[in-house]
Amino acid sequence: MFNHCYIATVRNLAICHLMLRWMWGWSVCPVAVSRGHMPFCSTHQANPSHSGQVTHRPGNQLTLCSLLEMGFSETQAKEMHEGATKSRGKHVPSVLTALLLLGLNPSSILKIMQKCPEVYSLKGADLQQRIDHLRKMGLIEGSLQRMISHYPKVMLLPVKRVNMVPRLLREKCLFTIHQVTDILRDSPEVLEEDLAQLEYKFQYVYFRMGVRQPEMVKAKLFRLPLSELRCRHCFLERRGLYQTPDKKGQTLILNPPLKDVLCVSEETYLTQVAMATAEEFHVFRKLMAREQEEKGREDEYSSDEDEEDKDDDDDDNGLHRRKCHWNTGYKKDRK
Amino acid sequence: MAAYVCMRFPFMGTSNCAATRPKFPATEPALHNFDTSYSKQLWDLLPSIRVAMLCEQKYGALINSFSSAPNVITELEAQGCKDFISIYCTRNEVHQSSQDSTTSHRDSTELEPAALRPSISPDIKCLVFPKGDISRFKPARPDSSGILGYYLLDAASVLPVLALDIQPGHTVLDLCAAPGGKTLALLQTHSVNYLWANDLSGSRTMRLRRTLQSYLPKEFLDENKIHITSTDGRQLGMTEKKSFDRVLVDVPCTTDRHSAMVEENNVFKRSRTKERQKLPLLQTQLLLSGIQATRRGGNVVYSTCSLSQLQNECVVQQAISLAQQELGITVQVQDLGWFAQRFSDTFHFAPQLSVGELVLPHLCANFGPIYMCKLQRMN
Repeated sequence: MFNHCYIATVRNLAICHLMLRWMWGWSVCPVAVSRGHMPFCSTHQANPSHSGQVTHRPGNQLTLCSLLEMGFSETQAKEMHEGATKSRGKHVPSVLTALLLLGLNPSSILKIMQKCPEVYSLKGADLQQRIDHLRKMGLIEGSLQRMISHYPKVMLLPVKRVNMVPRLLREKCLFTIHQVTDILRDSPEVLEEDLAQLEYKFQYVYFRMGVRQPEMVKAKLFRLPLSELRCRHCFLERRGLYQTPDKKGQTLILNPPLKDVLCVSEETYLTQVAMATAEEFHVFRKLMAREQEEKGREDEYSSDEDEEDKDDDDDDNGLHRRKCHWNTGYKKDRK
Repeated sequence: MAAYVCMRFPFMGTSNCAATRPKFPATEPALHNFDTSYSKQLWDLLPSIRVAMLCEQKYGALINSFSSAPNVITELEAQGCKDFISIYCTRNEVHQSSQDSTTSHRDSTELEPAALRPSISPDIKCLVFPKGDISRFKPARPDSSGILGYYLLDAASVLPVLALDIQPGHTVLDLCAAPGGKTLALLQTHSVNYLWANDLSGSRTMRLRRTLQSYLPKEFLDENKIHITSTDGRQLGMTEKKSFDRVLVDVPCTTDRHSAMVEENNVFKRSRTKERQKLPLLQTQLLLSGIQATRRGGNVVYSTCSLSQLQNECVVQQAISLAQQELGITVQVQDLGWFAQRFSDTFHFAPQLSVGELVLPHLCANFGPIYMCKLQRMN
């Protein structure tokens, strides 16, 4: 465990040491009983003198005392304890150890548990393995902690599952390893996404929008759900403000860069890029949702028949074949 | 890189493409035409119009007052729609007392000043869903005699009929009547003494007949009341000179919305290029014929479903000057500004056309395009 302690502050080392001893069944409560302070540690209650009595305690039970030792405040400790009890997780202390070893401070850990109480139910060893794996995928210190803090759900994903996404991104979408790391760091939710959807999203942007990998990474493509991506793109396309490049990669107009389309607030997108009113866009969104829903139903029933393509009429002929794959593509292909 | 990526993707390059898809769809030149021809005249508005035309259009339910089914209107209203015409009739009455020239009227109010005010027939009812509401209408149901309760159409198509201002006892000529939506609207006024509905194409005239049969009780389909023909409308002007109080000339055009979306029989197909190029000429001739068929003091309304100036304002102006020069007929444009103003809550009108009014497709009111111009024969 100590080998993985990259950010080893003195405090953390001290806590680690304490935790190790505690987990081995020894208990020393360093919390001083201050005047008027209500002790809620059983060691105190059992023995008022704090000269350090050693008693055995099962290592998988989380006590308020141990939480205080880890650096949680009283209120924080109470909340953590409640959460742990509710979850009936059997290995909470080892989970917390793993998180502490990452260098996360108690406030962050509390927030993580609030966001994702399922973490309480993990096994410490599993969690450690997953964290190590994320590190192996190129998430360096800082990025790793940030990812876990913003997206604690990632800790619930088994290693095997987590592996599939970078593999798809590298092998099928041809992102470089560096780009994959960037994607994981910027959009960790991508790890949870359905693989087919992920690939479809990539292909949509690659073929339909004519955008290449570096731009996709810059635009933090994978943060956005497919429906929103499609909505913003099709709105521009039908307004005549975005064109699918022809075989030579050329367009009659200058397409706005992907990040200008995706990375901005709806307001900015509307005023700067689409130059439309919010009302128009909201009606469009409703219409798109209905179109997609009906297209999905048609795809399920039709075999090789191609339905009317109402989406995009701006392609040149070369892309036409590809375009028709779009509209009938995914569901059919997977049959 | 692109080629390499291409090969990797399993469904790229497979023969998954249906054989039914045409190699060079006509919807593309239609859109291309849209992008190039209309940019000057509609510049700022173009993106909004374009996206609206490429999305599902909005319909209106033209109520069939010949149906005996009760509650047709209340049922529709329960779904949230409202009659866009009657709202404004009421509003109009309220303003009657304070009626004055709020805008500069270039029209000839001398002839029938009072009639101008209530000149929106309250008998025509067309229900639409509110702005921004994309709900669809269910198909109309037949009543006990098999007559349908309403006709679904682009609500803006009703406007030319309203503008025509049919008064009780009038004889009406609908020069290009098929498929019959506007014809049906004309009949809803219950003011038509005699209707002549014509269309060039035999098949389209059949369709017109079927439409009328679905909406009118047998007794109304009497030849003496409704005369349906399948001839070249350009001839009718000469054979029926000065015969009609009101004439509707709803000409064949490039049907812009339809052409941008539907492949079948698209007018932008290569094989139809000559036909398309001759359209403005055909339209002018039809309008002239309509003018000829109008009696003195009668009204002609010219309408299209295109945004093209060449098919709209230019045709009108050409027809007016030809009528004068070649036929010695004077027609005067009737300003419809007040009309557009009245319906501006339901439709988006183009600002400042040289002549006539144009309903523009817009996502929040996805009707049109419909162009209309009202003319009055002076001699």
